[in-house]
Amino acid sequence: MTDESALPEDRRRGRLDPRLLELLICPLTRTTLTYDAEKQELVSRAARLAYPIRDGIPIMLPSEAREIE
Amino acid sequence: MTETAAPHLFDRALLAARRARARTRPREGADFLLRRAIDDLDDRLLPVMRTFPRAVDLGLAAGPAAQVVRRLGKAETVTTAALDAEAGADLVVDEEALPFPPESLDLVISMLSLQFVDDLPGTLVQIRRALRPDGLFLAALLGGDSLRELREALAAAEVETTGGLSPRVAPFVGVRDLGGLLQRAGFALPVTDSDRFTVRYRSMFDLVADLRAMGATNPLVDRSRRPSSRRFFLRAAEIYAERFADPDGRLRATFEIVSASGWAPHESQQKPAKPGSATVSLATALKARPLPDDL
Repeated sequence: MTDESALPEDRRRGRLDPRLLELLICPLTRTTLTYDAEKQELVSRAARLAYPIRDGIPIMLPSEAREIE
Repeated sequence: MTETAAPHLFDRALLAARRARARTRPREGADFLLRRAIDDLDDRLLPVMRTFPRAVDLGLAAGPAAQVVRRLGKAETVTTAALDAEAGADLVVDEEALPFPPESLDLVISMLSLQFVDDLPGTLVQIRRALRPDGLFLAALLGGDSLRELREALAAAEVETTGGLSPRVAPFVGVRDLGGLLQRAGFALPVTDSDRFTVRYRSMFDLVADLRAMGATNPLVDRSRRPSSRRFFLRAAEIYAERFADPDGRLRATFEIVSASGWAPHESQQKPAKPGSATVSLATALKARPLPDDL
């Protein structure tokens, strides 16, 4: 779901609801997350993990997260 | 009590896969436990005389509990969260490591999911911390007595056919333990209740089919990894029928739903008075309202 061509503000499924973002922290380190709109990921610097957002649904599982350097 | 690591009982990835798979194969009527828990949730939430700005349904699937909250108009926003991505929820979370900031939620509901976490005390603490003061937690879990007949029949058949024993039915929390856990997790005014009932089946296989449709077949880490033989299951079904049949031949299966509620502490809540703070003696208080003779 990284198709960025049709991204406007529309609320269709597939885009992260911004209100969800403020509801979330990293489940491992309990620190804030930053939203990477391009990669559709929620990044935890402290845990060095990027949690994927699939079809607008944040997958807040460390086992599904991508390790970042 | 010393802190020790929680035992690793449940294979959470397997549980997610089972739940996701169950969604693709619905079975008529197999959601009876969830429906019962949801009816009860309705009854428990209705008399709560306030609305909650932000509610989270930590559910098996997006839907039933969140719908109750919306229908009763008890929350401004309801976010649904579930363990598997197929649940159709707004978020995928693992109840063992919740992604909610401290004091960010006003209502957390969990229906029939928390029986499969390794560290229930830890999860309860996480939920309590995520609640704002005076926030409410409402839960239903599969309780201690559930599936005791199945547990016994499987164990007896396994000993007979293999000479060994592997865990096949998960341990479930008892209603008293749950009350204590709520208290230890820092919830105020904890209330627990137990709803025990019997469901009757034609055979053990119908019961197992229901459990499969709930995504609730054996999620234990220590489960036997060898596929069980057909002979084993047939023998277990025989033992089940021998020991737990009603006169009309139908088989009893016990279920217990334990429900829990607790509030994040807030100064407005009723509390016991401090010892020694009474201004009237107990004797006077008792005299003021004589007890009936037959009490």
